[in-house]
Amino acid sequence: MATIADIEDAIARMALGDRAGFATLYSATSAKLFGVALRVLNNRAEAEEVLQEAFVKIWRHADRYAANGLSPMTWLITITRNHAIDRLRTRKTAGGTMDEAVDVADAAPGPEALAVAASEGVRIADCMAQLEDRKADAVRRAYLEGETYQELAHRYDLPLNTVRTWLRRSLIKLRECLSQ
Amino acid sequence: MSQVLDDFEDGEPLAAEYALGLLSPAEARAFEDLMTVDAGFRARYAFWVESFVSMTDGIDPVTPPTSVRAAIESALFGTPDAATTKPWWQRLGLVPAIAGGLIAALVVLAVVDFNMTPAPFTPTHTARVVAQDDSLIVLAALDPATNTLRIERQAGTIAAGRAQELWVIAGDGVPVSLGVLPDAPVTDLVLDDRFGPLIKSGVLAISDEPAGGSPTGLPTGDVLATGEVTVL
Repeated sequence: MATIADIEDAIARMALGDRAGFATLYSATSAKLFGVALRVLNNRAEAEEVLQEAFVKIWRHADRYAANGLSPMTWLITITRNHAIDRLRTRKTAGGTMDEAVDVADAAPGPEALAVAASEGVRIADCMAQLEDRKADAVRRAYLEGETYQELAHRYDLPLNTVRTWLRRSLIKLRECLSQ
Repeated sequence: MSQVLDDFEDGEPLAAEYALGLLSPAEARAFEDLMTVDAGFRARYAFWVESFVSMTDGIDPVTPPTSVRAAIESALFGTPDAATTKPWWQRLGLVPAIAGGLIAALVVLAVVDFNMTPAPFTPTHTARVVAQDDSLIVLAALDPATNTLRIERQAGTIAAGRAQELWVIAGDGVPVSLGVLPDAPVTDLVLDDRFGPLIKSGVLAISDEPAGGSPTGLPTGDVLATGEVTVL
């Protein structure tokens, strides 16, 4: 089982063009990333293509990882998830692209991000549980199914602006809970 | 951008919406501009990404098919055809390696300086082991009567801290070490009995290895030079 340090080391070696770094990273993380792509897309062939795109991107952007302030698995999963969501939306032809999202954050993060990053994992589940079921469900659908405000409005049979307002309120609540 | 900002007091939901992918393309671009210039927005984005990613904690790993890895390597490093996926010793035009074939044994050989062995040398087989760019040229000649392989280094030196290891690859495709080559211009390797027949029907190759030779019993570094053995 690869440790966080092993994964960071593999990414650092990839940044130097070391194929062995790729081999290490692929062995350590491809199954988790493929699982994530499959969960989002629910389609093996598409998930395989997304995994491929994600690793190509990871290789090409490995030199930017050190500065982005994300934990290595967060970075890898987010790239994979965003590619999967993009693929899903292409299928549905709706919504904007997620592809660039991680890149833009590549500049150095504030100390805040680094301080909070470690402790988030456990608590989001607790904090989501404090939201109304439907609202927690909407957050999950947006993250894991790539659902847009429009799709959520349709799903809950509410006006789009209403969905947007209550989802934003939920996100503020979530933030408050996570920051406690 | 200011219109987007006016909708939020501190940009907090915006960062979360951006991380979720809920913003319209125009809003997303506006947020990206904010992140470019403001570390606070980058920190908010990182906060949310770290938070949301734990929604994937319960997703079980699924091993992807091997074709995916091959496709990635092909995209990144060029076509993973036989020339890059097979070990080099299987690319020398020999019969493919037989699984479980001859395992390279530890070869104990005597390295004797040519000048100190004035015994008559009558080779029957020879090989010119040459690098593609002629940077390394080694002539090898086998005298089966004495099991002596005479090595004459005509070009090339050994890189500092590295070793050059000589291999014979016979019909089963598995390289067998003949030993680490010295830097001397001429060297006689006195071989074990079983190597004569291997050399007569094989290919010789020199690989780059760590000082002291391959730690695994098989070539670990690049192939530096190869040459087919021919009858004199």
